Formats: sequence, structure tokens, C-alpha cells
Amino acid sequence: MVASTDGRSATVSLPFYLTVALISGAIIAFQISVMRVFSIANWAHFGSLVVSIAMFGFGVVSAVMVIAKGSFDRHWRAWTTGALLAFGPLMVIANTLAQTYAFNPIFLISDPEQEVRLLANFVLYFLPFIPGALFLGLVFLRGQKSFGKVYFANMGGSGLGGLVFLLSMYVIFPQDLLLVPLAMWAIGGSLWFLTQGQRGALGALALLAAASVAGALVFPQIVVSQYKGVSYARAFPDSERVYEAASPLGYVEVYHSSYFHFAPGLSDMAALNMTEMPSEAFLGMYFDSSGPVGIMRELPESQQAYFRFLPMYQPFLLHEDPNVLVVQLGGGISTQVALAAGAGRVTAAESNPMVLAALRDDPYVSDWTGRFLDDPRVTVVPYDGRLYAAEAHGTYDIIDFSLPDSTGLSSPGGISVFEQYAYTRESMASYMRALDDDGVLAVTIWNRETPPKAVLRLFSTMAAAASDVLGDGGAISDHFFVNHTYLSTVTVMFSRSGFGAAQVAQLTDHSAAMAFDILYAPGMTWDRDDGGAILQAFNDLYFDPQRLETEGADVDMSATTLYRLIWSHLVADEAELVSDRYVFDIGPLTNDQPYFAGYIKTGDMATFAGMLDAVSDQWGYLLLWATLALASAFGLILLLIPMIFGWRTIFSRQPGKLGVIVYFFGLGLGFIVVEIALISKFVLALSNPTISASVLITGMLVFSGLGSWVSGRFLDRARSLLPKLFVTIALLVVLFAVAIDPVLDLIGVLPYWLRIVASLAILFPLAFLMGFPFATGMATLSRLDKQHFFLWAWGINGSFSVVGAVLVPIVGVVYGLSVALLIAAACYLLCWPAFYGVLAERRGPARTVAAQTA
Amino acid sequence: MDRFDTPRLTRRQALATAALAPALGALGPVRRAVGQDRLEQAGIVLPPLTDRQAFIDHMVAQGRGEDPAMLGWRFDRMQRLVGNGDLWREKEIAAFLMAPREIFALPQNSDRAYDHAFLGIGFGVTISGPHIVGRMTSGLDLQPGQRVLEIGTGSGYQAAILSYLTDQVYTVEVIEPLAVRTRGIYDELAGAAFPEYSSIVSRASDGYFGWEEHAPFDAIIVTAAIDHIPPPLLQQLAEGGTMVIPVGPLGAQTLLRVQKTADGSGNLAITRDDMYQGRRTVSFVPFTRQGGGTW
Repeated sequence: MVASTDGRSATVSLPFYLTVALISGAIIAFQISVMRVFSIANWAHFGSLVVSIAMFGFGVVSAVMVIAKGSFDRHWRAWTTGALLAFGPLMVIANTLAQTYAFNPIFLISDPEQEVRLLANFVLYFLPFIPGALFLGLVFLRGQKSFGKVYFANMGGSGLGGLVFLLSMYVIFPQDLLLVPLAMWAIGGSLWFLTQGQRGALGALALLAAASVAGALVFPQIVVSQYKGVSYARAFPDSERVYEAASPLGYVEVYHSSYFHFAPGLSDMAALNMTEMPSEAFLGMYFDSSGPVGIMRELPESQQAYFRFLPMYQPFLLHEDPNVLVVQLGGGISTQVALAAGAGRVTAAESNPMVLAALRDDPYVSDWTGRFLDDPRVTVVPYDGRLYAAEAHGTYDIIDFSLPDSTGLSSPGGISVFEQYAYTRESMASYMRALDDDGVLAVTIWNRETPPKAVLRLFSTMAAAASDVLGDGGAISDHFFVNHTYLSTVTVMFSRSGFGAAQVAQLTDHSAAMAFDILYAPGMTWDRDDGGAILQAFNDLYFDPQRLETEGADVDMSATTLYRLIWSHLVADEAELVSDRYVFDIGPLTNDQPYFAGYIKTGDMATFAGMLDAVSDQWGYLLLWATLALASAFGLILLLIPMIFGWRTIFSRQPGKLGVIVYFFGLGLGFIVVEIALISKFVLALSNPTISASVLITGMLVFSGLGSWVSGRFLDRARSLLPKLFVTIALLVVLFAVAIDPVLDLIGVLPYWLRIVASLAILFPLAFLMGFPFATGMATLSRLDKQHFFLWAWGINGSFSVVGAVLVPIVGVVYGLSVALLIAAACYLLCWPAFYGVLAERRGPARTVAAQTA
Repeated sequence: MDRFDTPRLTRRQALATAALAPALGALGPVRRAVGQDRLEQAGIVLPPLTDRQAFIDHMVAQGRGEDPAMLGWRFDRMQRLVGNGDLWREKEIAAFLMAPREIFALPQNSDRAYDHAFLGIGFGVTISGPHIVGRMTSGLDLQPGQRVLEIGTGSGYQAAILSYLTDQVYTVEVIEPLAVRTRGIYDELAGAAFPEYSSIVSRASDGYFGWEEHAPFDAIIVTAAIDHIPPPLLQQLAEGGTMVIPVGPLGAQTLLRVQKTADGSGNLAITRDDMYQGRRTVSFVPFTRQGGGTW
């Protein structure tokens, strides 16, 4: 323990560690809370961005502490007191002001004020992290001799804080979630001031806590953007919220209004042929204010013809009394179609228990639907249809995967980058294998993009999956029938045994009757002479508008023509030919690259960044690149500031500088890349990104915190132990990269609690070992009296954690999640030689903190 | 959202302008297409379409209280729209030149009325940019006496333009106070020097259900974004009728021209075409939000 120069010593005891844990927990709870606020009020990705930027609070604080370390040592007590008192109120002030002065990503380009608002949001959310990080920096400085334990308190507290926050989401509605970090802060602060005997500060804390709680309750903490889907529902004159539920899986609302107008792929011919159209037929279901997903009422006999005009009805033309699998229940319409079309049995999978709770268990909503889930023909599978299908070889006559997502117009800020494992090549192959001999898989998605992107990815994914299922040399040309309504939906049907002539005729007649355009049918030929010009025109649209005006003026750029062109190549096994020449990346989704978003080819990134208005649906992806650039630049500046200011004085006698930089850079990047990549991967088993993030963050932090604590015992043997450790970690990470998918698929079918336990169990060895190097490095710096390095290393680690967090989704989109994990493995291997720099002894007389500051 | 409306004319646009020039000089066809008889009964004299100063002088001489500077900007914008392919025929050009956009924009925006932009008009909605109004109007190819339904009255500007093409203009607006305000503007103008607006029939209602009492309509124009074509509107569209509607996700809709046709045996069919042929998207406020118009 080091004596403080402000006259009193700080006790490094159990309350000390508990406070560290509670404040660390409050920081992470605040981070998740901000992300929840953005997810509901605005756009989830801006929440991640804001939090990433705010995390630089750690970097800034460490840089300042390196430069002005003497002052922080001298006034240690005053600084810790001030930091602790400021943290809670700043959380409330920042969130309240930011929500009041919200920005809207939709107008980011057209309205200059939005840039100011965005900047204000960054600055506001940055503020609470300053005292939070300062407090942790100060306690690290004080507890550096027993760094492993302090770090364990920090990591364990963060992990458990995240867990407590997650559990509190079951009982606290989003509006009040800020109370959770506030409570952790108030308890932690009280404990600190009590054990430090600071009665005056304790009183001040009580007052500030009361004011903060009052502020959080009085002022709106979530102001939902008027462009989120639910805002429209709330504005309807007759809208009424008929259901509401909150859990860690999200915030669900169901509204009733006569202004809900859905037509899930409905043929235009319905209007011309039906004598009685359903009206007020849908409830609107919203997740985190986004949506709506339509929930259709039980239709009277006189309106049942409606189902026939929906695209998901088509496979039922080919089978009588079929055994049906609905891959995702969603709002339930596919299941309703199946029942209306005479299905013998329907198995409907839904991994989100909140959907089942609303549709099956809520009296109002289930009555609305006519309780179709209670139909004796229906069986509900409470996990991913993707995993269920993988176990159901050759069973189903019809497998339906149609429009489970939002039917509304709401997508503020564009499509975000998130994992869609249900649509991957592997999943499609599972659906195809689950068909019986003459079974049909029908996948319907929205078809509303100009120029098309997602639809083309679906095409290439399904074609690739068909090749996998049918085996080498198996032509896929007889196995597909594809049609669409322009700017409505597209349906891809796959027949396991191939469509016979009679079936093709049946589907063709039906397409004509429904005014669906046929995009591909067995035997259909398409003149590809203009193919090159069409693909060129889509490039010219962005890169050479002048040429499009002249040479491309007469080129048919309609979606129908493009789709036919693409299919003519896919069935000829020439997927790459079009993929290379089309303006956007339309490669298949795989379990390693499970993203619909991220269409912009990496080489075109700079060009598209200059025409944001033309690719508004790609902002989520472009934003990641912008954040990466910003985070890298900021991280570099933070790295350099202490070096520039302290090169002659602070660092002059510090050998192994390069090693220290590389070591902590590698650890920071490696750790976060593993964490973020595994969050994406574990969605395979846990089916929900929020739960996956929570389980992984908690597991990684607690287990590696435990590792850091245990590492203290091996400090003397670090020189020989760490190289072995780095190799082991790298091997384990590589193992995760190449072999985790089937393991996670196995876990995915277990009861939910067991899935969480199993996920944590397979995470433990890796996370535990990953706790060793950072704590060992920091303790070594401290032992060698490299205090300035100590703080600086902590800052480097924090800063590059931010870089890693945005690097993963980018690498995931461009190269695949396994490549991200391989990068992490390389980072850990890099730490091996760098560790010898950390171990380098100081030259000249060692100066203690006390000697320095005396 | 207008990457394609470059400040200078492209070769194609210049050719389009040149091709239209002779037609612009011939007033006769224009008078017939616009519904000369009706307008003459209402005491309206069509303006010169080719000469800026002559147009201004003519309009000032009509005594409708129009500002010469505004008239000049209107003429300039018309030329740009013709060059850009947003106004297709003489009749739509004349209609554009007759309608005082500045009056339908809010007073504080009147100086920007002829900018290439949408403008706020309160109630969280906007008046669409002139190029969209021109393109959608042209897409309908309205004939005198045809019955047209507008969904989303908004500022009232679109229906005002339509009123120069036919005397059968019906328009609905979901925001009641906005519907009342715009009706007030029509009535005020009709009582002053714009009698043509008295024939516009308006009401406040959810446009998704059209206006069944007055159906069928030869043309329907929807000025708010939606993710599908409302079946009631398809039902109320007459055989051979045309609907123009922005369909698609928020911020990037495709401007569709929908046609309802019948074959020899009376079987009806619906066709959908992209008015910009895959080359651009438009951005309207959502349909079921209380309002309409681009933003």
C-alpha cells in the first residue's frame, strides 16, 4: 500500500474492492442503458457509436493522468471524492439533455443542425465517463501493487453489473432503466465514503443521489423519434395500445388502430376479384419502437379468399393436406395461411418468447387471432426454426419462411448490420434437407429496394444452398420457381425433386392470375445479350451518370429484368460472373458472413462516402467505417499525447517503450475482437443479440477477472509462463474460429437456461486465460516502478478496445467472423515477443511515487 | 435527394428541351389540351410559354395580383423541369405556369417557392419539390373532363395544378386542420382572381379508402409514401385509368405508375412501371402519418 500525500491513507480492503466493483458495474450498466435508450428512441447503431466514443473517456483520463500524475497523487482524496460525487448526476444530466436535444439520422445530410446535435450527443454522453474513468484510474494507481485483485474487482463488477442490468430489464420498463446504474453508483459511493470516514461527502452524495433519481423520474429519459414506427401508430387518432411487455429481449408493444394498413405481398388482383376485402384486419406489433409486424385477425368465411392472393399461398397449390414447417412464426400470417390452405399439420418455430407471450398467452391478442395457435394441428417450437429444421430430415411437404420482419416503412437511418442466421446458406440447406422428396421450400422477402440488393443476396444464397444439397454436378435449373410483384414481395420456391411440367404449369397459371411476374421457371430461357449493358448501367448510375445519360439511356434497368438476368446466370452456375460485375456485393449469406447489410464493395467505399444520399439504406454500414476511422485516429492521438508531452521527462528512462505499446495494443484489440466476434457467433445458440451480448460480456469479464486475480500467484514465473499462455490462447481462439458453429447449433436446441449455462461453460477456459496477460503486464510495470507506463498502458488498452469493437463487424461483413477471430489470435501471438519489452528493467535510479511527488 | 438534377443541362436534357421548343411556340394544341373552353368560360387566358418577359407581362396584365419577380422564377423553374424531363407536354407546362406555388407555400418560404426543394408547411408535412409535382402530373396525362383523385391534399399546390387540366379534381387530406386551411386558401383564391380553384372538391379523411362516392376515377395521384398500393384505390381506379404513387421504404420510394387495363374479354389487369426507370428514388413522408408531401 502506498501512502497518500494528502495526509490520509486509503484503505485497500474489501469495501475498497466492492466500491470498485460497484462503480465498474454502474459504468457498464450506464453503457447498456444508453444503448437501450437509442435502440428504442432512435437507432441502435448510433447508441453503439455514442458509447464507443464515450469509452474514449478512459483514454483521455489516462492521458491526462500520465501527464499530471503528480497532482493526482498529491490530491488523490479530493479527486476520488469529486469523481464519485459527479458521476451519478452527470449520467442523468447527460441523458436528459441528449434526449431533449435529440438528433435524427434521417436528416443528417439535409439539415446542418443535425451535425451540431450529433456532436452535442457525443459530448454529453462522454461527460459521465470522465469521472467514472477517473475514479477507476485513481484506484488502479492506489491499488497497483495488488493489481490482479483490483482488476478482478473491476472486471467482475463490470460483468455482474451487466448481469444485474439484464435481469432488471424483466421488471423495469425502459423509461426507468437509468435507475439501475444510479443505484449501483449510490451504493458504491456510500460504501466508499463510509469506509473512508468522509461524512461530509456522504451527506453530499445522499443529496445528489436524491436529486439524480428525482431528475431521472421527472424528466423524460427516452424521447422516441417521430420517425420511429411506433410514433406513427401513437399519432393515429384512434390508436390504442392493447399490449405491452418488457424484458431483456426487448420492449414489445401492440397497437390497435383502423389506420393500420397491411398487405403482406397481397396480389393487386385481390382488389379486382374479391367481393369483400378485409378491413381493420391487423394489429401492429412493435419491438423497441420499430415495426410494425402485422397480426391478422381471424377472417370470417366470406373473406377467406384473401389468403389465396398472398404469395405464401403458392406452395399449397402443389400439395394436399401437407405437413408444414413455418420457420418463423412472427406475426403469424404464414401459419394462418397454412391452416386456411388445409394443412394437415403445422409446426411453427419462434425463438422469441415475447412473440409467443403476445400471440398465444395474451387474452386480447390471442382472441384477435382466433387463437390459431391452439388449433390441434399446430405445434409450436420455442427455438429457432433453423435449428429445428436441421434435425428434421425429409419430413415436410412445405417449409415456409415468409416476411417475419417489419411490414412498415420504418427504418430510420437505414439497414443496420446484424446477424441473420436464418437466411444463411447453411440454414437454407437445412430447410431444403428437411423437405420430403417432393417437398417445396418457399421463401418470401420484401422487394422494395431500388436498385435491388437484399433480394439478389437471397437469390445467390438459395442457389448456393441448392448446389450444396443436390451435390456436385446436380443442376439446380429444374428446382426453382421464382416470381414477384414489383415493389412488393419476391418468392423463391425450391422443390427437392425438381418441379414437374404439371407443377410448372400450375404455378405459371397462378402467377398470371395473381399478376405476379415470373422471374425464373424451369425451362424458361432469357436472352442475355443485354446482360453486360444492364450490369454496366447499374455501375454507371453511381460512377458515371453522364455515360448512363448517353450510352445507357435506353437500357432496361427494371428490377424484373435484372432479376431474370441474375437467375439466368445462377442456374448456369455463373454466380460469380454477375457478382463481380454488379455494382453491389450480392454474395451469399453464410454462417461466417451472416449479413444482409454491407452491400458496398470495399473498393468503392470512398466513392459512396461522397454520395451518402444515394445510399441512405447503407448508412449503418458506412457509419461503422466512419467510426473505425474516427476511433483509430482518436486512439492514436491519445497514444501520442503522453509521448509528446512526456518524451523527455517521463519516458526518457523507460526502456521497452515499443514493446509496451505493442503488448497493450495487442491485448486491447485481441480481447475485444474475441468478445465482439463471439457475441455475433453465440447468436447461433442464444437466438437473440441482446442476450448473446449480455451473456458474453458478463462471462468474458467475470472469467477473465477471475483469471487476472489468479494470475497474481504466477507473477514470479511470468517470463516463462506467458509465452505458453499466448500460444494456448491463440490456439483456443483458432479453435473457436474453425469449429464453434456446430457446437453452438447443438446448444441452440436446449432449454433456454441450459443454453446460457452451456455457453458460459464453453467460454470459461478461454476467457479465464485471457484474464492473465493484462493483469500480469500491469503488475509487472508496477513492480518495475514504471508508473507512468502503467496508466498509459491502461489508456492504450481502453482506446484500442474501441477500435476493435467496430473492426469486428466490418471484418465480419467483408471477410467473415472467423477471420476476425484469426486476427485476434494473431494479436495474442504478437504479445509474446512484446512482453519482453514490458519486462525490460529501468535504467538509472528507480524513483518511487513518493520520491517523485515529494 | 437529387443527384440527377445537376445544375447544367446534360446532352439528353438539352435535346429534350430543343425537341419541345417548336411545340412550346404553338399555342393552339396547348389550348385544346388544357381544356380551353372551360378555362375561357372561367375567364382565364393562357400565357405565352416560350418567352420569359412575354409570360411575365401577360400574367401581370391578367390582374391576378402576381409578383413579376415570382413569375420570372416560375418561368425559370419551368424551363429546368422541361430540361429535366419532369414536364412532358405543353398542357402540363401551361398548368405549371398558371399555378402560384408561392401562395401554397408558407409566407416565410415564398421566396424559396421555386427552389429545387420541398418546403415545410406546418403539421409536420411539406409541399413537394416542383420536379416531383411536375413528374407526377405528367405521368397522369390528364385529359379535360377526366376525374382525378388526389390522396394527400397537403399544401393544395398539386390539386391546383391538376385543376388546369380537368375540372373534376377531388382531393382528400387526413389532417383535418390542414384540410380546412387549404380549403380556405382555395376559397379565398377562387373568390379573388383564381376562379378555377372553386371546382376542386376536398375533404378530410383517411386516403387509404379513397373516395368511394365519386369513384371510379380516371386518375389517382398519391402524394405520400406507402409500402403497398391500397386495394381500395385499385378498386376505385377506372378501367384504363392511371395511378401515380410512391411505393417503398422510408426515405427511398420508387415512383410507380400503375395502370388498370382490360383485355378483349373484359379481364382486368394491373401493370406497374417505375417512372424513373430504376434510375432514382423519391422521398415522401409516410402515408399513414397524419399528412403527406415530400421531405
